[in-house]
Amino acid sequence: MATASVIDRLRDPSEKTLGVLLLAPAFLLLALIVIYPIGKLIFNSFFDLRLSGGGAARFVGFENYLLVWQDADFWNATKNTVLITLVTVPGALVVGLGLAMLANLPFKHQWPVRLALLLPWALPLAFAGLIFAWFFHTEYGVVNDVLRRLGLQGPQEATMWLLRPGWAMAAICLTIIWKTSSFMALILLAGLQMIPKSLYEAAEVDGASRWQQFWGITIPMLMPSIIVALIFRTITALQTFDIPYTMTKGGPGNATETLAMLIHKTTIEYLDVGYGSTLAVCMFLLSMVITAFYLRHVGRSA
Amino acid sequence: MKMLQPRVLLFLAAGIVVLNGFFPALWILLTSLKTEAELVSKPITYWPHNPTLNNYVQAFSDQPLLRYLGNSALVAIGSTVLSLFVSALAAYAIARLNLRRRQLILTCIVASSMFPLVTLLVPIFETMRSLGLLNTYIALIIPYTVLNLPVCTLVLVGFFQSIPKDLENAAMIDGCTRLGALWRVVVPLAAPGVFTAGILAFVNAWDEFLLALSLNSSASMRTLPVGITLYQGEFSFPWPIISAALVVAIVPIAVLIALFQERVVGGLTQGGLKG
Repeated sequence: MATASVIDRLRDPSEKTLGVLLLAPAFLLLALIVIYPIGKLIFNSFFDLRLSGGGAARFVGFENYLLVWQDADFWNATKNTVLITLVTVPGALVVGLGLAMLANLPFKHQWPVRLALLLPWALPLAFAGLIFAWFFHTEYGVVNDVLRRLGLQGPQEATMWLLRPGWAMAAICLTIIWKTSSFMALILLAGLQMIPKSLYEAAEVDGASRWQQFWGITIPMLMPSIIVALIFRTITALQTFDIPYTMTKGGPGNATETLAMLIHKTTIEYLDVGYGSTLAVCMFLLSMVITAFYLRHVGRSA
Repeated sequence: MKMLQPRVLLFLAAGIVVLNGFFPALWILLTSLKTEAELVSKPITYWPHNPTLNNYVQAFSDQPLLRYLGNSALVAIGSTVLSLFVSALAAYAIARLNLRRRQLILTCIVASSMFPLVTLLVPIFETMRSLGLLNTYIALIIPYTVLNLPVCTLVLVGFFQSIPKDLENAAMIDGCTRLGALWRVVVPLAAPGVFTAGILAFVNAWDEFLLALSLNSSASMRTLPVGITLYQGEFSFPWPIISAALVVAIVPIAVLIALFQERVVGGLTQGGLKG
């Protein structure tokens, strides 16, 4: 009898049992790849743990955190990461909005424009970095060639884009803006298409100029899409790794090294798991602070 | 003249968007057809003078490009299938079952994607290393599955909610069990949603770089982005060959996107979580 009832319940389980069964795999995976690693990360940050030496972990308390505080490389990487975020997030928003408004025009064929927005999105970040590194090549890059043709650069001079700190950062930011603006444009385009045409018609009747329509109708109606896009972009910008890694490897020196690159170098190349974990905890706290600050401000202005 | 002007402007607008989107890929294609000698001639040429396919031959013979392609495909398909399966189960529970706190459950799954992957890299690397899983497919398939859970769950919850509950009830009245109804009625009807979520997951996995670089760096286990980035020979960066390899790597994903653009755009705007 008991087995029969178990089989019955398996065949047609109650809502709650079924719910637990269906959700179990997802939460098991999350526990394995997110929850457990977070615990492990915090735990390791209090140890001197190097995989290269083969020695055992040594508890050091807050020593690693003190070292981070005094670590010039950490502050340099933090500065670069924040700079990249501050430049590329608004940059991609402006470019993305422009692209979305152009793509929203009544074309006979939609697909070439849509594909032109999708292709940069689907391209791996690492490939975008490689391609733009070739664009910015000092001798044979197309960027310097175009500048020369436009007369902005003499025939003998050539900007060493990826070899000078300021120029390298500029090249990286431009590449990130190109790569991420198409995702912004796709999100904003969906928002634009939801604005009722009647609003513009009514504004037209009232004699509002195009400029007034843009600030009075388009921007306010787009606000929800803009905020969603900004939040996602900010979170990913703080994790910037692929594009600087493929374009400059953080160079020249460590002028373009981001926090993600510093953590990768410390852990994967130097195998210093203890210090790497501490850096990661600090980076997490930093991105929490920035995201919270950002949400409050963006949320208030909306 | 007045009739012509808007059309010219339209053409110009489309031109800007198309050029912005296609130029980098086009430039790489042109570069891949140039000879090394042409590439280092100045002023640089735009259109290849003596187009050659030699770079493609070298791209495949210099390094195991085919192997990278296979690795990428295997990891991307494996993690896509797995994350579709796991998130379909979870999405069904969230969309259909009479559970308390279903919104909280969904928020938990989605919020996990907000966690910076870079910070998880250290413990994931350490765990995989101690389990001896570095340089295996599993090392990437499991994290990618988790990476894609939020997007897939979000897209699928939306699709499941759009399927009328009556259809399912009718199947149950006709003698189907609950799971039978899920398998026979809901899953086929949700196929477009599963497909959309699948494409997003595939692109995410195909593009991932940091974990692939850190966990699978041995030459035979590299995925395409890692393999091509580490092409840099000991001496110089062989740009024509890199370009050829890039073209080979971009074509599959470009074809996929071109074929299913509307689905992809729909899925992205519904649950898009990628920079």
